[in-house]
Amino acid sequence: MAEERRGSWFGFGFCGFGQALGSGRGRQVHSPEPLQTPGEGADVCRVSASWSYTAFVTRGGRLELSGSAGCAAGGCRDAWASEALLVVLRAGPGRGAGTELQAWAPGSALSGEPLWAHTVGPEAEGEDAPGGEPQAGALPLLPGGRAYVSPRPPFYSPLAPELRARRLELGAEHALLLDEAGQVFSWGQGRHGQLGHGTLEAELEPRPLEALQGVPMAEVAAGGWHSVCVSETGDIYIWGWNDSGQLALPSRSLAEVGKAAAGEASGLKEDGCDVRTAEGESGGLAPFIAIQPFPALLDLPPGTDAVKASCGSRHTAVVTRTGELYTWGWGKYGQLGHKDTSSLDRPRRVEYFVDKRLQDMYTSKQHGGHRPNPCW
Amino acid sequence: MAEGDREPLARAGTLREALRALLPPTKEELTLQLGERVERSVVRLLREAVELFCGGRGGECLQASEAILDYSWEKLNTGPWRDVHRDWRRVYAFGCLLKAVCLCEEPGDAGAVAAALRVCDMGLLMGAAILGDILTKVAAVLQAHLPSGKRPAPGPAQEQPHEKKARHDRVWIPDVRSERTVPRLRCPSLQHFRKHFLVPGRPVILEGVADQWPCMKKWSLEYIQDVAGCRTVPVEVGSRYTDEEWSQTLMTVNEFISKYIRDEPRDVGYLAQHQLFDQIPELKRDISIPDYCCLGDGDEEEITINAWFGPQGTVSPLHQDPQQNFLVQVTGRKYIRLYSPQESEALYPHDTHLLHNTSQVDVENPDLEKFPKFAEAPFLSCILSPGEILFIPVKYWHYVRALDLSFSVSFWWS
Repeated sequence: MAEERRGSWFGFGFCGFGQALGSGRGRQVHSPEPLQTPGEGADVCRVSASWSYTAFVTRGGRLELSGSAGCAAGGCRDAWASEALLVVLRAGPGRGAGTELQAWAPGSALSGEPLWAHTVGPEAEGEDAPGGEPQAGALPLLPGGRAYVSPRPPFYSPLAPELRARRLELGAEHALLLDEAGQVFSWGQGRHGQLGHGTLEAELEPRPLEALQGVPMAEVAAGGWHSVCVSETGDIYIWGWNDSGQLALPSRSLAEVGKAAAGEASGLKEDGCDVRTAEGESGGLAPFIAIQPFPALLDLPPGTDAVKASCGSRHTAVVTRTGELYTWGWGKYGQLGHKDTSSLDRPRRVEYFVDKRLQDMYTSKQHGGHRPNPCW
Repeated sequence: MAEGDREPLARAGTLREALRALLPPTKEELTLQLGERVERSVVRLLREAVELFCGGRGGECLQASEAILDYSWEKLNTGPWRDVHRDWRRVYAFGCLLKAVCLCEEPGDAGAVAAALRVCDMGLLMGAAILGDILTKVAAVLQAHLPSGKRPAPGPAQEQPHEKKARHDRVWIPDVRSERTVPRLRCPSLQHFRKHFLVPGRPVILEGVADQWPCMKKWSLEYIQDVAGCRTVPVEVGSRYTDEEWSQTLMTVNEFISKYIRDEPRDVGYLAQHQLFDQIPELKRDISIPDYCCLGDGDEEEITINAWFGPQGTVSPLHQDPQQNFLVQVTGRKYIRLYSPQESEALYPHDTHLLHNTSQVDVENPDLEKFPKFAEAPFLSCILSPGEILFIPVKYWHYVRALDLSFSVSFWWS
């Protein structure tokens, strides 16, 4: 594998607990700022952001927490941060000894005993990339794809082996799974349309999204009450709750705020895109969508291919093949990175990264920080 | 009015004092006892917000309160409402309390007081009681401090809205004489009611029971606006809740009346199924709890009292409820049709979990090709008038259409 020059991490959004390292203790950061990461930025292979703290994992297996919880620990392959639980995948002593999944109270600083621990079988070790590099970033899906963790009981849930899970994402009350063939499954509560099966009914077991069958997906992402997936050809499909414009569909509440604020952030033709006709100009009113219960295809500017999607509780972010970042949805804490606190119901490019190339990003489920990784 | 003559600064000062007087005297008492469900980080932020408030740092306290509100709001929207943990609702209410009080700390304009009242109402609607039901008290103080200019002029009060409407619409009043009517009784004894109606589950209209309640004389549009005009309430917009276009929204009672009752409304708006009397205790004094409720097994506190206030033409599709119901008519008339639970099959309930207690049939315009059995299903009907109480037995299917501007109060008991 060719040596790549790696870059630094940036963060923006809510940091009321001082969790954006190096950006000061302000409650909100509206424009991307460089983060001080443990070691070199290149070292960090996994960032998991919760509402009040962030977890960083380096290639050397070092875990660092920042924010309401603070600590450092070694021997960690992966970490997953939520307010109730910090889940860590720790290498066992020596090869062949298996890996241990540990759940800690975030404030415990990883000292004492974990709340619970579960040995992950050695057969999971075979999932490592060639060269022995540990696979990071799969949590809450466990190595081997046979089970996943969640911050609510049951904390540990097995997955049917026939599912061949590649990625799993959790929303506030639903789950998304991407399998080896690129098929998307969903289950959990459906009252906000987040399951994508066309109804508001709940599903107890993983159910494939029929609307997406035949279109292999490369990525899935779950927001609080919405779902996103990216196809292998760079198209974005999105469904669920649109209360804050997180689906990039016309949102009534945003329109009402816009009327009150009298013509602020609407016309974004230069750097954003018009996913629908502007109301009033053409005389017709685009219908507002509160809930989209089955997948809708989202248009980015022509020629843009998405490669990664990530969701906060009520906002969405997408990185393109050319390294650009687009965000939309809830913006009250600056989590969209557009230097203001407006919410948007259409995609807008984050100007800060125009002369940089982005590689990766993670969002916090609780309206929090969004930490993309630029590379140039 | 003397209030309006005082300087704004002086008024703001008394408001601040009045609010402070409602809060617990010490910082330590301005706190919530919370269980494990609420994460440590939230508890920490709550404590920090109180510190900021007591330290006179109102602006920062507002920021912290916003974060508390936004975080707990997400918990309130996770999972079915009945499963939302009470502690999260209490956290939300606490955030509303801090925010409302902070908004009134500085001598601001009436806009700040109205905004603070709205925040209190959100806490009352979505939160749970904290600190001795403090939000109700704060709301009452805020309401009293809204300058009289905020309350709307009665407008063309001489013209009754329903008269105005009658010029434009012809309301279809069903000929109930051709239908089997609900029996009527005048002040039956508790025993008689229990034996002949409660136990066998038979509907009946009770006369002479509620007709002397103060609400019957007092509740005009002007009075409602006076007592509750600036309060925020949930409103249903759309002809019926089974429609795709149906939605719920929040607005003040004044906005509701001007938009959906007075000014030639475009859409149907209905202030429906709202526990208005918990929110505004002053209105509760105008009603009573029917004595017959004591025949149930619950306590008086467990009785759910809902307000139903809307223009002519509001419709509640045919549905059933899991409790006994006394529907008291205060203003206007309602056409009501009742089907026994034994007829459920002929009523074609929706098969979704969300609407399984609602029939698919439009009662006054049924699609008999799609729902053939409905035509033969026996029913009772009535026009419920002011002063009358309709007893709807548990699980009895009922359909309601308002024939006039209407205000009803329902009592759900077990």
